[in-house]
Amino acid sequence: MRKGLRFNKGAEETVRELLRSLLESARVSGVLTLGRTGGADGGVAYSLFTDPDAFGTDGVALPLLPFMPANAGGLLSRLTLKRPLSEPIAAVVRPCELRAFIELVKLNQGSLDNILLISSTCGGVYPLDVGANGSLQERLPQYWEAVEQGELDDDVRSTCRACGSFVPENADITIALLGETDLEAQCTLYLNTEKGATFVDGLEGAEETPMPGDLETELIQRVYSQRAACQDALFAEVDVGLKGLIDTFGRCISCQACKTVCPICYCRLCYFDSQDCERPLEFYQGELKRKGGLRVPSDTVFFQLGRLAHMSASCVGCGMCTDVCPADIPVSTIFSKVGASVQALFDYQPGRDVEEEPPLRTFEAEELAQVVM
Amino acid sequence: MSDTDTAKCKGNRQAQTVGSGTALPAEDGVEAALVGWLKQTLDKRVFDAVLVPVEVPAGDSFAYLLLRDPAILDNASPLPPVMPIQGGKVISRLTMRGNGNQQPEAARIAAVVRPCEARAAVELAKLQQAHLDNLYLITIDCPGVLPLSDYIEDPAAGAARFAQAAAQRDRSPMRPTCQMCNHFSMLPAPISDLHVATLCSDGTLSIVPGSPEGARVLEEMDMPVETSLDGWAAQVEAMEQAQTERRQQAHAELRQTVAGADRLLDVFSSCINCHNCQRVCPICYCRQCYFESDALKLPPENYMARAERKGALRFSPDTLLFHIGRALHMILSCVSCGACEDACPMDIPVGQVFSLLADRAQETLGYVAGERLDEALPLVTYEMEELGHVEQPYVAIYREQEVQDA
Amino acid sequence: MEEFTPNIVGFLCNWCTYAAADSAGVSRFETPPSVNVVRMMCSGRVDPLFVLTAFLRGADGVLISGCWPGQCHYQKGNLHARRRTAMLKSIFDTLGLEMADRFRLSWVSASEAPRWARVVDEFTEHIEQLGPSSVYEELFL
Repeated sequence: MRKGLRFNKGAEETVRELLRSLLESARVSGVLTLGRTGGADGGVAYSLFTDPDAFGTDGVALPLLPFMPANAGGLLSRLTLKRPLSEPIAAVVRPCELRAFIELVKLNQGSLDNILLISSTCGGVYPLDVGANGSLQERLPQYWEAVEQGELDDDVRSTCRACGSFVPENADITIALLGETDLEAQCTLYLNTEKGATFVDGLEGAEETPMPGDLETELIQRVYSQRAACQDALFAEVDVGLKGLIDTFGRCISCQACKTVCPICYCRLCYFDSQDCERPLEFYQGELKRKGGLRVPSDTVFFQLGRLAHMSASCVGCGMCTDVCPADIPVSTIFSKVGASVQALFDYQPGRDVEEEPPLRTFEAEELAQVVM
Repeated sequence: MSDTDTAKCKGNRQAQTVGSGTALPAEDGVEAALVGWLKQTLDKRVFDAVLVPVEVPAGDSFAYLLLRDPAILDNASPLPPVMPIQGGKVISRLTMRGNGNQQPEAARIAAVVRPCEARAAVELAKLQQAHLDNLYLITIDCPGVLPLSDYIEDPAAGAARFAQAAAQRDRSPMRPTCQMCNHFSMLPAPISDLHVATLCSDGTLSIVPGSPEGARVLEEMDMPVETSLDGWAAQVEAMEQAQTERRQQAHAELRQTVAGADRLLDVFSSCINCHNCQRVCPICYCRQCYFESDALKLPPENYMARAERKGALRFSPDTLLFHIGRALHMILSCVSCGACEDACPMDIPVGQVFSLLADRAQETLGYVAGERLDEALPLVTYEMEELGHVEQPYVAIYREQEVQDA
Repeated sequence: MEEFTPNIVGFLCNWCTYAAADSAGVSRFETPPSVNVVRMMCSGRVDPLFVLTAFLRGADGVLISGCWPGQCHYQKGNLHARRRTAMLKSIFDTLGLEMADRFRLSWVSASEAPRWARVVDEFTEHIEQLGPSSVYEELFL
């Protein structure tokens, strides 16, 4: 039976207080969440906090800020890549970041040990350029207004608007945000696991609500259909066909920034950076025998399709790739559309279940007859 | 810096008297003239292939194409409004594995690039990441480039804005590094085989040979090299001087913004560690960057201990380490092209910061990146006696100690 | 329509289909000369990037052929191949690329030479109807 905790303070205050007391009571040694890095106009980055004061009213931590400078799933992987954590930490992450981390754990790129996973019903994040141009703060009132209605601000990432996985499935604690009226004055936390319940057991200021309503309210159900409709519309924008591919990736400069920020792309040396893909001049000269001209460097589309072949089964649709593209290509729209198709093929959802094998690592004796001649 | 050192620096860089060039009729503008000329070189087999920016089918960007079909040149843009990929990097990708096999289809390749792209190619050749033997570098007087995202938003408007600014010699819409660029032409010394001089005050266009190979090309094209370039040289020198002042001013102002750990941290406070800057930089060629390697992937205890020390650890960590470290690795070859800043998703002025560091570091070692192919990379070579101002304090301290101990 | 001989790259597993193709040749089963055979030790060795490279370099069709499920010389390679094929087709299909229809997987065991001939005939006819692939020509990227 799920337990819940209801606080009579605003969501932001509740979460900050929760994290502060987790640190102060030494129940955790650190907290991974967003925080200010510079002055008032400075940037925002994920940080590993050990000082409880960071979560005071004037502290630098900003746990609920709708911003994703990096996919925290990739960060948790980096943190636990060499070894599992030996001391507990809490991590405040979005559903897609959580799913990315679980995928990475399955791919032997991290460990879930000793991490208290805190997530929320997600209202999306703003694209990176909103952070870059300094307009993030002023948008927050309209953001939260929308969230309380169960809607998304128009300017959040397009992949957020189309995301149907906004209820985190593997969090120890879920902060109810989407569709919760009056987030300025009250906040409900759902304790999904024993671990979650144990960590917050006995914390001050919380009314025990042993029989809370379902996290998935009627409004949440409506949001599912809204997001599904948005996804259909977004995926329809993808320029299909060979011509579409040429038009879309014509301005791709093969910088591979999309791959660098992708939480799933973890290879130490990407195949497309390796010697295999370094073409000698003879190659270009040879091509000129067959063609009037070819692009230098070549293999732009090869990289895009190849990366799809490598990671689309695990794509969580976070949208980091679009945000970093110097040529403003809607990479995440394309990748999450293909990801959705490939995942549907195997009835697989990345990050849904840490015990579930990634689809290309396993097989059934009889399946996919439609693929065979 | 001592006087001897200064003299040594300047010695290599006497302004050469520019000889003559060959006039190119340009009734329909610079690009049309140059494209027409390139077509002729392909027809006459003076070049076997041309590496030049071509508009992509969707019309919203440009890509370097290696081509031998003159028809494709109809869509070519030798001086496009943007620089999506730095030409030096393109030349490196083309030639990094060697000089090719002299197949007739592409034995002699002309690469049409901007001066900073040519200088990057020269640096890369010295770093063994490009081979220029097959290549004829053709540079062109450069008005700068627009920031890429400005252009992509509305390519037609971008093209118009670029054309107007170029015609009026106005650098204000260009990349910040372009706005303070003082290496936009071929003076004081040519780095390319041929240079297209567009900044003549009377609006004419000339092709200037910069090497014996370049002179031979003009000979094979039956183009007499008899046009005086004094007017052009004077114009370029005047502009370079103005730009140098502008650059020094900009660097002085910039230094105020970044000097000191706190201010430097502020500048990089919104950095998300995407490493775009490193990926698009023509000089950064490492297959696996040190800052992405296992050397910086540590067990969790390391991160937790560092977080304990200051109450928090930015994650992923080592942001400043990456930027300063990258500067340490490549600053002596930095050509201040600004590709890094164009690619930064958080609008950090990384190109400007690096151009400041580059000027200072290169000046200290008496080196200018990419100016001379026959000049060794500064860290690969040394003199027995040099850079006294760097070692002097230490020598003095130890000598004092010796005297005391005696 | 102009006659054209399709250029099909065939990744054939050494133990089954390659042997069948060999046998078909010796037994003089006539097939169009459309398949360029690449001998793999197992259909499971076929990296999706091989298929992609083949198409991007101008193949009109790509065929992977191996042992029947349950008969793989290495137990399960062909079962992995089936999933990879499905994934690749899904990627091509979602992006509206004709390559989805030019890519096939078949099971032909060593003793099934006539079956091999039929597979080649059928696939070649299918590609002939689709015409030559324009990917190499058009994709200058």
